[in-house]
Amino acid sequence: MTYVTYVFQSYFGYDKPKAELLMLDVHEKGRAVVSSGTREEMERDVAAMHSYGLWATLQKDD
Amino acid sequence: MFKSGIGSKLTLKLDAAELGVLTQLFDQMAELLEDPDSENNSDPLAKLLNMSGSTQISEDPALARLFPDGYSGDEHASTDFRRFTEQDLRAQKIAALSVARETLAEWSGKSTVTPQQAQHWLKALNDLRLVLGTRLEITDEDDRYRDSDEPGIQLYNYLTYLQGTLIDALT
Repeated sequence: MTYVTYVFQSYFGYDKPKAELLMLDVHEKGRAVVSSGTREEMERDVAAMHSYGLWATLQKDD
Repeated sequence: MFKSGIGSKLTLKLDAAELGVLTQLFDQMAELLEDPDSENNSDPLAKLLNMSGSTQISEDPALARLFPDGYSGDEHASTDFRRFTEQDLRAQKIAALSVARETLAEWSGKSTVTPQQAQHWLKALNDLRLVLGTRLEITDEDDRYRDSDEPGIQLYNYLTYLQGTLIDALT
């Protein structure tokens, strides 16, 4: 299992297939939407991803 | 390498060369993390209010990678996000690093790592990999095979290997 898959599973609680799919998206497209919700929730998730060294950013949905 | 041990604990085995190199690299990481641009930290009131975090992304590419912007395409929001989160993020990274350094400082042939310590190790190792990767200008997977005679690349590949054994031991 890759580090990214491990983080998606352990932090977001995603099952292995979902975590792997997101990891592949990141790997191939350079990015993936891994979480969505309120601004406060997303700031928490972005901060958590940064603590794992993953390059997460937050974007407003139009 | 990491191996799953008794119960939920892990065992870490390193030879003398690995121990030496990891100790040295983690020491350098500590210097990098503990020596932030401190001009923003001089205001005691701001410090008290936990607002003394810097607002600008670092010019050092390695630090910029460890402390990236929080928003894409929104400079103002990124500035606020950094002001309120960077100090805590730095503290978390230093804490993770301290756990890893402690394991190595208390080394006696091999070491037992608790699940909680393993989570710190995971973050500290990855941060180290990111910093080394940035310094070596590794931007994609293929760069890892660039020139495996290059000591930096060998180190990077070793860290990738060690991280892999840790994830295997955890899962």
